[in-house]
Amino acid sequence: MWVNLFVALILENKSKKEAEAFAHAFIAGSMKGTRAGSAEETLARKAVVLEYSREKQLGRSRRRSSKRRSQCGKPLSAGEKRRLKVFDIKPEHQRYELFLPLHDLWKQYIMSICNGLRPGSSPQLVQQKLLKADFHGAILTVVRSKCPSYVGTTGILVQEFKHIFKLITKEDRLKVIPKNNSVFAVEVNGFVSHIYGSKFEYRASERSAKKFKVKGSIDL
Amino acid sequence: MAGNLKDKEAYQRLNYLHQAAHCVLAQNTSNDALARFYSFTQRTIAKRLVLRQDPSVKRTLCKKCCSLLIPGVTATCRQRRKGRRTRFTVVRCLSCGQTKSFLNDPGHCLWVDKPEAQLENQVQPGERSYLIILSSVITASREVGAAEASLC
Repeated sequence: MWVNLFVALILENKSKKEAEAFAHAFIAGSMKGTRAGSAEETLARKAVVLEYSREKQLGRSRRRSSKRRSQCGKPLSAGEKRRLKVFDIKPEHQRYELFLPLHDLWKQYIMSICNGLRPGSSPQLVQQKLLKADFHGAILTVVRSKCPSYVGTTGILVQEFKHIFKLITKEDRLKVIPKNNSVFAVEVNGFVSHIYGSKFEYRASERSAKKFKVKGSIDL
Repeated sequence: MAGNLKDKEAYQRLNYLHQAAHCVLAQNTSNDALARFYSFTQRTIAKRLVLRQDPSVKRTLCKKCCSLLIPGVTATCRQRRKGRRTRFTVVRCLSCGQTKSFLNDPGHCLWVDKPEAQLENQVQPGERSYLIILSSVITASREVGAAEASLC
């Protein structure tokens, strides 16, 4: 019943499926104090005042150093990031269709970078641009690899780390593929470009400040 | 000025990453991990290339955990009072609890919006160098005068 109410409120400018997903996520977020999964049951039985409750499980580690840290807004340290699983995608979000809009956005972005990408434009220029571009949201295919089981994997790139690409395949699986010793292909509007993963082992943010040198490679 | 922007690609990349974070959050509001990752990448790029981001962008990112702050979805927005007159808008990040507070001052104007922040409205560099030369000439003549006085 509650869900329906929310859906009716949101439905004005969205499709029904989106509205339902939003309502479920919102209710789960507003009822963090209760047990996970029981939010719907509680709502079905009795009247509940929806209010904001802070998460409990972070409490202890935060309380110890809260006074100093919370005021100045220091960024999380690497250990804290690992503990809180800041960047991990939950299994229920690993769905291919959730990332299709991201891919559309990426196509627009690449078009704007390469000034429309006409067939006449020189490949060197486009590749220079692609080196500094962002690949989150691109569809990558593993063309060659030292490990044969990676070859042929196709998916939308979700996260790029220093040594790893995380792809989401059409079968809704999250694949973790090391950059070293493999070659990837990016396809933009019929223009296929290859990425040599061994030469690409930087963080996504480091790459835009990096100068690439022309150097021959021996392996593969 | 806009024609030969120095780091145009980097700015485009920042723009894309910000949009991507919004896009991911719009698909499913509880998928804040990925949006946070994109915002984090955006921030590190800006840090490495020393690019300044607009306050409107900077104020929608959490300083501590880098998540996008959207009131009602990933952040709460409240009015707080301190003393009799002064009121603040307090934005609290729902994932880490970090707060940002902005003073409600109708007369406040950001530096970016001020007319002298624009490049064409600044003092012309030619004028300034002329002034510097003039002042150096004056000091030089003073020194010469002092030297002459010491000779006598």
